[in-house]
Amino acid sequence: MVLEFLQGLSEMQLVGELTVLSLLIGGIIMAGGVIIAKIAKLLFHKYYAPSLPKDTAQNISKLIYFGILVISFLGFTSSQGIDLSGIMVAGGIFAVVIGFATQSVVSNLISGLFLIVEKPAKHGDTIELPDMGISGTLLDIGTFSSKVRKFDGTVTRIPNEKFFTSNIRSLTLSTVRRADVSVGISYESDIDGAILAIKNEIQQTMPFVLQIPEPEFRVEELGDSSVNIHVFVWHPRDDWSQAQPILLTTVKRALDKSGIEIPFPQRVIWTGKD
Amino acid sequence: MKIMSDNSEITFSNYGVYDLESDLEFFLPNTTIKFHRISDNAFSYFRKNYEGMIVEKIIPIKSNNLKIELAPIRPLNHPARRTSHMFLQFDKDIYLSENSAASIFVHCPIEIGIFLVHESTRDSLDWITCNSLNSRFGLYGSPDTGKLCKYAKVSLATDYTDSNSYLEGVMQIVVENTLSFGQSISKIVFQITDNALYYQDSKTIIDGIKITMKKRAAVNIADVKTTSLQTDWSMSPTWEDKIVSTHMEMGLE
Repeated sequence: MVLEFLQGLSEMQLVGELTVLSLLIGGIIMAGGVIIAKIAKLLFHKYYAPSLPKDTAQNISKLIYFGILVISFLGFTSSQGIDLSGIMVAGGIFAVVIGFATQSVVSNLISGLFLIVEKPAKHGDTIELPDMGISGTLLDIGTFSSKVRKFDGTVTRIPNEKFFTSNIRSLTLSTVRRADVSVGISYESDIDGAILAIKNEIQQTMPFVLQIPEPEFRVEELGDSSVNIHVFVWHPRDDWSQAQPILLTTVKRALDKSGIEIPFPQRVIWTGKD
Repeated sequence: MKIMSDNSEITFSNYGVYDLESDLEFFLPNTTIKFHRISDNAFSYFRKNYEGMIVEKIIPIKSNNLKIELAPIRPLNHPARRTSHMFLQFDKDIYLSENSAASIFVHCPIEIGIFLVHESTRDSLDWITCNSLNSRFGLYGSPDTGKLCKYAKVSLATDYTDSNSYLEGVMQIVVENTLSFGQSISKIVFQITDNALYYQDSKTIIDGIKITMKKRAAVNIADVKTTSLQTDWSMSPTWEDKIVSTHMEMGLE
């Protein structure tokens, strides 16, 4: 019964030597290839990817997935008796036409390949693209575009061409980072005393601030109303939130505890009678 | 160990393995730890430090009894685990003349771990530092290529018995200068995950290191290797990821 049904399908010719049966077999090969590719990708992500760096895992995953799809496609074409050499010749002409038509797509694809090879940033790195005003965590360098999760939680898609040609500032490439704030003290206050007070407060209350290099203090300016001191501290690169946002609070607390005045801008007005 | 505090005498708990049947309290400098049985199958864990920070956990148990081990651990966890390396800055430089060797003892900061004891393994329940002000980071090298380390300014010890209970262990450092000129040593950087800790009562000692100052081609380097201790003191458990390394090199400055 089944054999007779299949025999019937093999006799139903569609175009040239293409029969319904060969098309069915080709469909099964392609569907099987897609399923196997998805399962292989899933197994890789479950058992091997966690032990690899994120970007390596992503690249190998794509290689496995698309590799199996390409093999399936070759199986499909051979099952249909399609001679790929003819397509190759025709492909040369079409490639020129398609190249002009899809210039930006190809450009994004090539840029994506260059990004994968050059690795200006890895998956999971915190980066800043000053030209585009984007900063956040690099989620993925895809085939045509890259994704960056901004600090507000939203995800921005950037075409690979733009990403590749932009200035990329990596915030996680160095082991440590520097945080800095500026504070003004009154002209009557002791500068060395203020610096010592800030230094002690940082030492006691900011455990993520590095002891080596030591916090640095520079008298930056003799301003209109205050002597301005710039404070620089280094911290582990992953602990920005434990340094920069609380540094100014710490400096203010240190000056308050020591009774050192942070002056308001002052203007002396003389009236005509005086 | 006993100290006087607020006109009352506090006896600090020794390191070791304790049976936990009902309630149990540990007193450490600036920290109090309490275990309390809340049911047949569970204990509660409570820790409070001098800053008022409280940590509470529930510990479900299978058997009726529970064993706890209080032990010194490597100083890598406070304020957060960021590195496996230790940067010890000596309070006084050590000068070694050409082709000479010396053996010194130094204090090295420690933290304290609380472990649940099973037959052959230890589970980390919690860890503390009794001296959070001396638990800081430092960078060895330049900001772009340097190595992030836990940093401590340390003093020389007289011998293995000179440990500062709950705060610092004692480590032996053997230094050999094979160079043709004298050299001062003011700091050492090494991967402390290779060094085991041992305890007895409230004292701690740590596996030593051997530093060989030598010339390699045109560069003078300090070759740092770990040396295992032979002691009858109890070895501390640990739960940190063990990163296998043969040795570390420092540049001579």
